[in-house]
Amino acid sequence: MPALPATPIASGDSPAQGGRGSRYPRAAPAGENNAGAANVYAGVDTDAAAIAVRGVSKEFRHGRRRLRALDGVNLAVGRGEVFGLLGANGAGKTTLVKVLLGLARPTSGEVRVRGRDPRRAAARRRIGYLPEGHRFPGYLTGKASLRLFGRLAGVAEGTLDQRIPELLELVGLAGRGGDRVGRYSKGMTQRLGLACALVDEPDILFLDEPTDGVDPVGRRQIRDILLATRRHGTTIFINSHLLSEVERTCDHVAILHQGRVVREGTVEDLTLPTMRYRVRLGEGQAATAERLTGEGLNVVASNGSLEVEVADLAALNRLVDRLRADHLLIAEVSPLRAALEDVFIEVVEGEERAAAVSDPGPRTPDPGGGR
Amino acid sequence: MKTWALIVDTWREALARYTLLGFLAVSSLFLLVLTFALNLDIVDGALAAGTLFGKAFEVPGKGPAIATVVATGQSVFAGILYVLGVFLAVFATGSQVPNLQHRGTVDLYVTRPIGRTHLLLGRFLGAVTLVSANLLILCGGVFVIISAKTHVWNPRFLVASALILLVFLSYLGFMYLVGVLTSSTPLSIMLPYALYLLSVPLVAHDRIAAAMDTRIGAGAVQTLYWILPKTAEIGRDLTGYVLGKATPAFLPLATTAAFGAVCLGAAVVAFNRKNF
Repeated sequence: MPALPATPIASGDSPAQGGRGSRYPRAAPAGENNAGAANVYAGVDTDAAAIAVRGVSKEFRHGRRRLRALDGVNLAVGRGEVFGLLGANGAGKTTLVKVLLGLARPTSGEVRVRGRDPRRAAARRRIGYLPEGHRFPGYLTGKASLRLFGRLAGVAEGTLDQRIPELLELVGLAGRGGDRVGRYSKGMTQRLGLACALVDEPDILFLDEPTDGVDPVGRRQIRDILLATRRHGTTIFINSHLLSEVERTCDHVAILHQGRVVREGTVEDLTLPTMRYRVRLGEGQAATAERLTGEGLNVVASNGSLEVEVADLAALNRLVDRLRADHLLIAEVSPLRAALEDVFIEVVEGEERAAAVSDPGPRTPDPGGGR
Repeated sequence: MKTWALIVDTWREALARYTLLGFLAVSSLFLLVLTFALNLDIVDGALAAGTLFGKAFEVPGKGPAIATVVATGQSVFAGILYVLGVFLAVFATGSQVPNLQHRGTVDLYVTRPIGRTHLLLGRFLGAVTLVSANLLILCGGVFVIISAKTHVWNPRFLVASALILLVFLSYLGFMYLVGVLTSSTPLSIMLPYALYLLSVPLVAHDRIAAAMDTRIGAGAVQTLYWILPKTAEIGRDLTGYVLGKATPAFLPLATTAAFGAVCLGAAVVAFNRKNF
């Protein structure tokens, strides 16, 4: 495969430009090949990028049928970033991760991980991977699993002797390292998977549904581990449909829908401030939502705060004047951002509607996903 | 170190699935029986009498030369092992590739910085060491016990053990190909068995081809004969060799080895091309 040119891998409208009357950044229209879809990485040297994907398509044959799981995907992830790939079940997320790791060969397009083809074994050095639904050989203990996959990653025995107890401690399995993996709960297996992904101190970490089956405390621990890993400069690629997790962890996200990247940008860009505001009143102050609603404002009151949607800043200021006229003390007025979940749902539903209008043909599920 | 890790992994798997322990238990039992239950009285280099499980048996007249008795016994044992050993070895290793290719497991192996060829051949090497060790214990044990009891050292028996290993390797290559293509443990075990059974009558390929109604049928029989392992010929040569009556022919051995090598090569190619 020829080297990718050191040019931006995608061009097009900036996500921040917005479009189609949406309060969120622009989505590529359904049915349009997204080779030129919005890319916040315009200007990134694809050989210098940690991960670069250019025009990648992937088709699977199921008997006579051809299923297109990926359709001209372009992405670039800078070094040290935490990137989140979002998508509904069957959107193509797992297939894309598999292509990025050399587990599956793209039908067309190019993939570079640290500038190299991931199908080459040497290119996968210091790359950690936590697969979705992974299954460690049940006959191995936790320690033996880490040793096996550490050895296969080329980590020296002495280093493994030191690192394995540290990793087990890190993921909260210090007392269970000698147990067979077959006796682990799902959450413990997931923790072991994370330890295994970290065993060769990866430069790039791919995580496919990392908090799947993990309890809330465990989720927080995993998030802390990822943030600590990131501080060491590791690039992290997270594939998840737990949007709140992604929102808390990632710098950049891309939304994959029917094998195409339909939205991409920083979390901050995608969750742009809306015209909704939270007005927090001083302690002991109360304003009735009904009164303000009667004046044509969309208001929800709770716990001494008002959440209000206004048409413009003038309307917001009129509201403040109204509250002050009632001698209410205002402690804070802050704009509310759209939650990533809201963005995701709007984008996906918008795509579904557009696709239904422009192409009523059958949809192609992702054979690699939705296990 | 990666190859070593794969070999150790194969042994761990065999240990955990009790295939290794099962084989060692059966081998040990057989060797114990041979050690303590069979006693031979040798007079002037000939078998005069003996006991089996404490029951005495007489040999009328001047018994056969002990060297002949040993060679015959070893020949029979080699023949049994040739059939049973290969069957057991196929059964013990049949799940290797399908287990490796389990969804969720293969991802963990294949995404490590190790080539797929290295990965598959490392597992193959693990199976080879496993079966070799088992054969060494069983055949080596039989050789040592019989030789120690009779003072007849027949190294042809050890050579025959190596031939059994060669035939098993050929089937192991085929088993790897089936495993890579189907990811099915039952098929990985049943198809080598079927191949084994199919290849036996092909020793009479000339007569079968002559009995065919069409030239295509005759050609198919001859082609199958040349492609498939020469199971019957090697078995016949092997037992004859232990008796000192024959030398294993080169062509059956070479074509059997080639069959295994081609299958293993095809398995490696298919494994490298596979999407997981």
